[in-house]
Amino acid sequence: MTILSVENLSVEYVAENSSTEALRNISISVESNEILGIVGESGSGKSTLIKSIMRILSAPGLITSGEVLFNSNDILEMTDEEILEIRWKEISLVKQKALNSLNPVSKIGHQIALPYRFHMGMNKSESEKKARHLLDLVSIDQIYFDSYPHELSGGMRQRVIIAMAMALEPKLIIMDEPTTALDVITEHEIIDSIRSLQKELNFSIIFITHDLNLLLQFADRVCVLYDGEVVDYGTTDVIKSGGNHAYTKTLLDAIPRIDFSAKPDLHNKNNLDKILSLDSIHVKYQLGSWMIPEILHAVNDVSLDLYSSHITSIIGESGSGKSTIAKVITGLENSDQGKLTQYNDGHEYEVVHDIEFRKNVQMIFQDPFSALNPIHSVLHHFERPLLRFGISSEKDIKSKACELLEMVELNPAEDFLSKFPHEMSGGECQRVCIARALCSNPKLIIADEPTSMLDVSIRSDILNLFIKLKENFNLSILLITHDIASASICSDEIVVLKEGRVVESGATLDIIQNPTHDYTKNLLKSSRDDWFTKHDKER
Amino acid sequence: MKSIIKFLLSMMNNFKAKIGIYILLSFLLVSILAPFLVGSPTDYVGIPLQAPSMDFWFGTNGQGQDVFAQTLYGAQKTLFIAFLSGLLVVLVGAMLGGVAGYFGNRLDDIISLLINVFLLLPGLPLMVILAAWLPPGPLTIIIVLVFTGWAWHARVLRSQVMVYRNQDFVLASRVCGESNFRIIMVEILPRMLPLIASSFIGATIYGIGAQVGLEFLGLGDISQVTWGTNLYWATNDLALLTGSWWTYVPTGVSIALVSLSLTLINFGIDELANPRLISERHLSKRLDGDFDRNNATPVRKIR
Repeated sequence: MTILSVENLSVEYVAENSSTEALRNISISVESNEILGIVGESGSGKSTLIKSIMRILSAPGLITSGEVLFNSNDILEMTDEEILEIRWKEISLVKQKALNSLNPVSKIGHQIALPYRFHMGMNKSESEKKARHLLDLVSIDQIYFDSYPHELSGGMRQRVIIAMAMALEPKLIIMDEPTTALDVITEHEIIDSIRSLQKELNFSIIFITHDLNLLLQFADRVCVLYDGEVVDYGTTDVIKSGGNHAYTKTLLDAIPRIDFSAKPDLHNKNNLDKILSLDSIHVKYQLGSWMIPEILHAVNDVSLDLYSSHITSIIGESGSGKSTIAKVITGLENSDQGKLTQYNDGHEYEVVHDIEFRKNVQMIFQDPFSALNPIHSVLHHFERPLLRFGISSEKDIKSKACELLEMVELNPAEDFLSKFPHEMSGGECQRVCIARALCSNPKLIIADEPTSMLDVSIRSDILNLFIKLKENFNLSILLITHDIASASICSDEIVVLKEGRVVESGATLDIIQNPTHDYTKNLLKSSRDDWFTKHDKER
Repeated sequence: MKSIIKFLLSMMNNFKAKIGIYILLSFLLVSILAPFLVGSPTDYVGIPLQAPSMDFWFGTNGQGQDVFAQTLYGAQKTLFIAFLSGLLVVLVGAMLGGVAGYFGNRLDDIISLLINVFLLLPGLPLMVILAAWLPPGPLTIIIVLVFTGWAWHARVLRSQVMVYRNQDFVLASRVCGESNFRIIMVEILPRMLPLIASSFIGATIYGIGAQVGLEFLGLGDISQVTWGTNLYWATNDLALLTGSWWTYVPTGVSIALVSLSLTLINFGIDELANPRLISERHLSKRLDGDFDRNNATPVRKIR
């Protein structure tokens, strides 16, 4: 039976005198007890689609055509009161950034009980009984009933959000990137419990994500969205085997897979120049109030050597301290203990974060949009470091900037100089950031999750660019990532970090073929394509 | 620079801002051209307390001076002091707030403490005491206004700087070896322009009110002609008892109009700089006003 059917839905974003079409004639349907996956890159309109279905799209969104039939009633014809009746009771939503959707000052149990009290008019004890039952369903221990959100891990908070979405037994749950903020291991656990709950309680799911690989592992049908249009739509098997559209193929090809191929033997580090070494670095943060201080050991006894023409990857989940290491090296954060040593033409000396050091060590940031100041043009972002490091004089800044832009494959370079960050795509912005880091001919570049904010189809381009830079300029690159697959593609050496400690390190091939630590094994296991099938068999 | 001009031009497309700018500009123009339009405001020109007539548009006051001339000349000094104090208040606020927000830690603790102390001090009594204690004159008024007014703006700007401080574009500038001063001035402050502009306007409105209040109490230099001293002399000459309304109404209306114009400009800045209000305005225009942000997404089928 079809629960939801969307026919020819079009949505516009209204501007001053014109409007942009965000969705064009979208037609999809969801059967009962089905998981429909919607996949698309950022800007493809996937969030707009689900917001339009629930009619919670805020200004300047305007629905311009179509029908959204839910149980053969058109949501687009409903009054505000009628829609309120449907939301949460019939269709509920698990939002993106769900980690922030819990009220930090209210207890978990109380928050789960709220929908029962508001929508069903239950009293306190009745609703709390229901809430406890829900916690059981999503396998969260009852002791957390009286906890506050910050006392739960990210994965547990996500389970709470899913429990709340299921509270009123809706027929359809829409999930908008519910696992994007989680690390891969937790991601798989959450999806595993979503699948078993769905089988148990018989509801349908629309699952929205940018990660096609994940979707192919558990969705019944997949819809591929590109630039506001459905370009491919079919059962998972059809999509898996290539789909009906070239774009689906691109997405399939872009799925990062662990690269088991042997790399040129760079493991013999004796041939390489050491550039920088970290010697048992400790970083502690003081949390809590000054009366009851809590010490967080963000980086705990980390030692690391970095070599020229060598890519080292640090892999770890969020909160493992990997970004803190980058900040310690660049002097954006101070270490509490430990030593940074710099090597230069056979001399070694302790690192001072002066201009000379900055010239040698540059950094690339995670979010290319926030790493460029929106009020300045691309040229400005080159002008400053070029002058500051004395690389070129006022006169030939433009030609030098063009040279750099060509190095990162932005052509024609002249056109980019006068552009502002908002006029460029994410990939172009990240290339500008990389070019800026190359301004001073550095010996070491630290890249903090350089691909995580970019669309999957351009990730591998950026990683390949790193390999090229390494080979052509003898660069040393420290790549910080949560994704073991992308690390395996380009790095020579992998360091696995967990809770501030190095749990395993070694040559890339050794780590991915013979991991010794459980955490690394888990990481590798979760990034396999056949995770769920294997997992089901094991059960 | 280009973006500032573009912003100013787009202000003229906003109805509220446009009205505000016209009112303010006309006051500025008239006050600057006062010497060419009217005679000296301190001369004895006719019988005291004459009602408005064709000779004296706003009548004469208790000293036989032309009220119209006094209103125009008063605008000169009052607006000058108000804008200058507004500028200084925001400058001090941006500097201290920016430094506190950017450097954080101990420096932030100290400056925040200072801000909190100044926010707690009862502003009006302090202002009165300071103005009475310092020698009377425009400089005193400016010092008093800045001294009692900076803390609020420092706090607002500090919190905004704290938002930007750890964003990647600031970190990237630090990695490039930029000086902290340059990062604050070139990278951070320009991004806060709408906030700074609206702080400036708020401070200017406060500057007009507080200044007129102090002078009304006789704490300014009463030999000068300003809107505040106009009101001071009106009360001294028992304007309310004698029913000579024309000695205080023109000044009062002027103060109200200038404050209104500044408030309208502030609304305009908010509507232009706040993306949510912008998109709601566009959508509302498309739907011919039939839009409520609390309702479900509107549907307007074309086909």
